[in-house]
Amino acid sequence: MFKLTLYKLFENIDNILMTLIIFLITIGFITLISAAQQNTPLLWGQIINILIGIILLIFLSHVDPKRFLFYSPHLYILSLFLLLAVNFIGLESHGAKRWINILFFNFQPAEIVKITIPLMLAWLYHRFQNSINYKTHLIAFIILSIPCLMIWYQPDLGTTILIGFSGLIIIFLSGLSLKFIIISIFSFLILSPYLWSTLHLYQQNRILSLIDPTKDPLGTGYHSIQSMIAIGSGGFLGKGWFYGSQTQLNFLPETTTDFIFSVFGEEFGFIGTFGIFIIYFLILYRCIDMAKKMQNTFSRLTTAALTFSLFSSSIINIAMVCGILPIVGAPLPFISYGGTSMVVSLIMIGIIMSLHSHKSLIAN
Amino acid sequence: MDLYKFKYTFKQRLNFIFGLIIFIFLVLLIKFFYLQIIQFNLYSSLSTSNRIKIIPIPAIRGQILDRNGEILAANKLIYTLEIDPEMKLDLNKIKNQLSDIVEITKYDIKKYNKIFKESYYSSTLPIKTNLSTIEVAKFVANNYKYPNIILKHKFSRSYPKEKSGAHFIGYINRINKKNIKKLKKSNNYKSYMGLDHIGQTGIEFFYENKLHGFPGYKKIEVDANNKVIRTIETVEPKHGKDIILSVDYKIQKVAEKAFGSYKGAMVAMNPKNGEVIAYVSQPTFNPNLFTNGIDEINWKRLNSSIHKPLLDRVVSGLYPPGSTIKPFVAFAALENNVRNPPFSIQDKGFFIMPNSSKIFKDWKKGGHGEVDIIKAIAVSCDTFFYGLGIELGIPKLNNMLRKFGFGDKTNIDIPNEKKGLIASPKWKKNKYKKKWYQGETAITAIGQGYTQTTPIQLALATTKLINPNNIIQPYLFQQNISPKYMKKELENIKENKNLSLVKEGMSLVTKEGGTAAFIGRTTDYNVSAKTGTAQVFGLKEGQVYNEATLPDRLKDHALFIAFAPSENPELVIAIVIENGGHGGSTAGPIAKKVFDAYINEAN
Repeated sequence: MFKLTLYKLFENIDNILMTLIIFLITIGFITLISAAQQNTPLLWGQIINILIGIILLIFLSHVDPKRFLFYSPHLYILSLFLLLAVNFIGLESHGAKRWINILFFNFQPAEIVKITIPLMLAWLYHRFQNSINYKTHLIAFIILSIPCLMIWYQPDLGTTILIGFSGLIIIFLSGLSLKFIIISIFSFLILSPYLWSTLHLYQQNRILSLIDPTKDPLGTGYHSIQSMIAIGSGGFLGKGWFYGSQTQLNFLPETTTDFIFSVFGEEFGFIGTFGIFIIYFLILYRCIDMAKKMQNTFSRLTTAALTFSLFSSSIINIAMVCGILPIVGAPLPFISYGGTSMVVSLIMIGIIMSLHSHKSLIAN
Repeated sequence: MDLYKFKYTFKQRLNFIFGLIIFIFLVLLIKFFYLQIIQFNLYSSLSTSNRIKIIPIPAIRGQILDRNGEILAANKLIYTLEIDPEMKLDLNKIKNQLSDIVEITKYDIKKYNKIFKESYYSSTLPIKTNLSTIEVAKFVANNYKYPNIILKHKFSRSYPKEKSGAHFIGYINRINKKNIKKLKKSNNYKSYMGLDHIGQTGIEFFYENKLHGFPGYKKIEVDANNKVIRTIETVEPKHGKDIILSVDYKIQKVAEKAFGSYKGAMVAMNPKNGEVIAYVSQPTFNPNLFTNGIDEINWKRLNSSIHKPLLDRVVSGLYPPGSTIKPFVAFAALENNVRNPPFSIQDKGFFIMPNSSKIFKDWKKGGHGEVDIIKAIAVSCDTFFYGLGIELGIPKLNNMLRKFGFGDKTNIDIPNEKKGLIASPKWKKNKYKKKWYQGETAITAIGQGYTQTTPIQLALATTKLINPNNIIQPYLFQQNISPKYMKKELENIKENKNLSLVKEGMSLVTKEGGTAAFIGRTTDYNVSAKTGTAQVFGLKEGQVYNEATLPDRLKDHALFIAFAPSENPELVIAIVIENGGHGGSTAGPIAKKVFDAYINEAN
């Protein structure tokens, strides 16, 4: 009886994807133990984050995709309200309002948008799947722009780009004409000087420090350099668990969040980073495979968009710590410490699994 | 757009994005490969230098002592206020900040700027040195007010005898850029880690390697806030070795006192082993001025004075030997069977050059009467030596001078020693493109030509007269004496009858009728000597030398070489008094006082 319940509980879980995700989370937690530097409460906090995330994942895997489809507009509207609320009851830190406190925990509404935007856009294209034209794309663009502008206003450049990107991916996948894409890219390039002027000074500095990180070693480029030193000094085999001097002696900032991959690179070397890349590849391959096999527009678009949302976060974070991108403050999904990031990432996987296991329900 | 086409486009574009992400991951992988494999060494060393700091522990410089343990160069504990030049602080602001505690003068600021510009520094530079105890206490009490100013205690060189003996003791100053270049070239740079000073002259320079020791260091691990996590390794410094000199400071003081305000040099050495007992160069300077960077006013005063107080006249002062050369010339003649006794001349006070009508005068009007070679030394008969020189010839004369060490360094353990000069026809041709005249041979024989010596050379040459069988090299610090430093060429001067004749002549110098007879009258031991007077400028024809009317700087140099007691010499002295007039009367009394002090002390 109990066995049957347990089976029922996991019946909608995709074993391959789940194994890979658990593997990634485990590696991330092992790294976090070293990166936390004896901060035990932080480790317990992360365990709770993981548990909440996995419970939500299991729960969502059982949810009928029809419900996702039905509630997508509601969730979208709700997330807009939450974003609006940030302006009034948001907690300010580092000159930006990103967090709100609901009940007893803090979270970032922008992270919720990472889920609601793909759902909403997928809903839109699903709804008009037989008559997709430039109007549909225009509406999609407007739906995408509203939360993006609100998040930019917080300001949170990193999340804005991430969300904007995942939304644009959906529009792209939904058949936006190539001619239009090319024209848009050109006009963006032409407009970029103006966009540059709207950036905050610290954001400009972060981008500038990327071009020449040595220019200001104690200012904006300092973190980037220290991160590269951490990774580079890891060498082939790494310095060993708990033996990363850049990490343990605090030369590396934000070891548990933004720079956790530098900690991993320093302590486990190229062998370790190569291994992680393999896992990422397998996850990506599995998700794309699932998206292709899905039988309706909503499921396909949602799965693809959520996958790319996860991967663009990962790419931005990894590119940031190895000095390819400026330090924009993006966590690494499944690995960085942080409730919102962990829970949202697992929710995304949960939704994908639900869409995957219920494929027959809303086939077209 | 129909659904079929939509699905097709979707799959196509999905594949495109999949490929794009794979491509991006490949780029990232390459970047990690580059960082962790290709540039591993670079980042590994950057990571190490992030966390490992090396803090030098300076070695304490060795002291310099005289033979009786009297301290000539010591280390004094001083307190300094220092600032980090990298912080580029406003000095005037600091001056105002510190005004309650200590006055920072204009000179302090000038000195700071000079040090900053010229010298190498390991960490901070002093803005104020030599704080009093009260100033230190005040600063410590208000420490929190001055986060940028560091109170340091360190050992600073001090020369308790100040001007006395400054030339051979030497001085140290802050390491400057030139020193660094040299140290790097000789691979000694490492041993100056954490040190700010280096010997510049005298013993301080010559024995720099022994004195300065080898600094130690502490290797520590720090975190990003420069907090020390642990000490990895401590290497204790090897402190510098003390140097005990052969100099007897008591005798040194007697000599300096006897010198009074004369300019010149004196060296007294033990003829048995070459130990230098006293070493005087006047005028002198205070070496303490240099230790923490000399200020501009004092530097100008010392450097541009016409009296050249910084010149070490004992080894770098070049003087014509005057009549002090006569014993050596006489020995050269005797060894070549020229003018051997009982040969004598009738001196009427002048000498006529053979085959010429040129007349060379003796210093004494009317001459010395009948003069043989012994009397010629005792009364310093020029007439006798003119003829002797011409008959002997310049090559043989110079050969013998060379054997006595003229024209070459004595290799004393003091820097900047000059070689002197033995003038010869070949030298003259090279230098002036002119022929050598016979008359020049004649005046070379009485020490008035081009030939030049240093006081230390005169002392060594005199030693060789007394102790011809042993190779003697003058020194101040005996541990240095190793075969490497000894002169290779053995001088084949032999103890023989000729040498005894020369010495007999020198012993008569201090007896009645000799040129320094007063010494014999006032001492109860026998002194052998030779006086000398060297012309500073050549008198023009018809001009008469009149000491009373000449300005001081054109007066003759007075020279004097001596040893005592004559029978068993314990001390050799060579003196040069610049513009001192006659050797016997100005240099003689100084020598007598030093002999008295030394011989009385020994007994």
